Amino acid sequence: MSEPFEPKIVAFVCTYCTYAGADLAGTSRLKYAPNVRIVRLPCTGRISPMFILKALQKGADGVLVSGCHPGDCHFTHGNYHARRRWTVFRALLEFTGIPLERVKFSWISAAEGGKFADFMNSVTEDIRKLGPFDQYQGLINETEAPATL
Amino acid sequence: MSIQEQYKKRVRELLSSGAVKMVIGYQAGTTADRRRPLFIRTPEEAEKLVLDSACIANLSGYLVTEGLLSDEKSVGIFLRPDGIRSINILAAEAQLNPEQVVILGFDGNDKEVTALQGEKARDFSAIIASIKEHAPEAPRNPQLEQIEKMSPKERFAFWQAEFSRCIKCYACRQACPMCYCRRCIVDSNQPQWVNTSSHTLGNLEWNVVRAFHLSGRCVGCGNCDRACPVNIPLRLINAKMAGEVLGAFDHFAGMSETQEPVLASFKKDDSETFIL
Ligand code: SF4
Ligand code: SF4
Repeated sequence: MSEPFEPKIVAFVCTYCTYAGADLAGTSRLKYAPNVRIVRLPCTGRISPMFILKALQKGADGVLVSGCHPGDCHFTHGNYHARRRWTVFRALLEFTGIPLERVKFSWISAAEGGKFADFMNSVTEDIRKLGPFDQYQGLINETEAPATL
Repeated sequence: MSIQEQYKKRVRELLSSGAVKMVIGYQAGTTADRRRPLFIRTPEEAEKLVLDSACIANLSGYLVTEGLLSDEKSVGIFLRPDGIRSINILAAEAQLNPEQVVILGFDGNDKEVTALQGEKARDFSAIIASIKEHAPEAPRNPQLEQIEKMSPKERFAFWQAEFSRCIKCYACRQACPMCYCRRCIVDSNQPQWVNTSSHTLGNLEWNVVRAFHLSGRCVGCGNCDRACPVNIPLRLINAKMAGEVLGAFDHFAGMSETQEPVLASFKKDDSETFIL
């Protein structure tokens, strides 16, 4: 009997807003899907598109990127830079045929524990419906010498 | 006097007066329709110069050769408008001092070339501005429209078929004037971001990374596309990304020597409809 599909999701979040939001979700004892692995970074400005590719390369079914709302960045404008980068990177992913439903972006503040939990749940559900990222898995399987972390 | 003879004379003048130490131009190539770069250091060598519609390579990348401009002497260079835009980007990104670059500008179609008036990159700003203005209504590559109409699955399959031929020779990178990094991200191995083997995954990653790093910087000169030994249509990705940055941020690469790079600047009201 095969096990039911559980999506693997990687979330890249900034430490000042979304990670604090995740903390708030935890301390408020909100339950959310355990499929999300969080990687904490100092700022959304530090989240290179390479991270997204790396997560997919290592078999993620979905990737989330989240940080402070515009105007709230701890470093004043890291998120504005990130936003431009995401706009461009997203267009590129779309053009090369990577489904955009698998790479999501959001702003979640330190006060939005509820939004964090809801977002994790809804993305997990969406990706569960999409199923495993077979297209990418096919590429990974063809690679004889996978890149190291 | 033909434009070629006119420019030969100009090159001789520039070199004999000492205004430049070298002129980078074109000479006959291995076949009748090919040209290869020519590095002219003495007035006599100007005789070898060829200037016609087959001169299509963007030569600006030679200017960032290590040490070439470090003696603060000037270098002359033959450039089409896309090459002049490259000079603006290289200047804006602090890779060269535009005062050291004497431009021998020309433009044309596949039949003939005409001279462009000016000497410094900024002298051509009106020409570049008019190219930008006409960019939205310029005819688009029909294949680009076709790909945009595909479903994501079909697009993925299309690009997999293209990228599967990539042999990771990095000729596209070497040929690109904007790819001047001493250490490219694909050469870094701690961590190893991109698979080095030329399997499909690494090929996809490499091509995505290359296109991303050139978004808002590519001038569409076609050097990469012509260099690719397996004919991957890099022009399609480049054109797509140039259209994206123009549409989203009104950014046209290489407008001036002080233009802010699109991914190193922002506006507070940049669109963000996709962010939840
Ligand atoms: S990416 Fe290709 S077309 Fe664009 S500037 Fe570089 S060589 Fe020219
Ligand atoms: S020139 Fe073509 S084959 Fe070589 S690395 Fe670039 S895309 Fe791949």
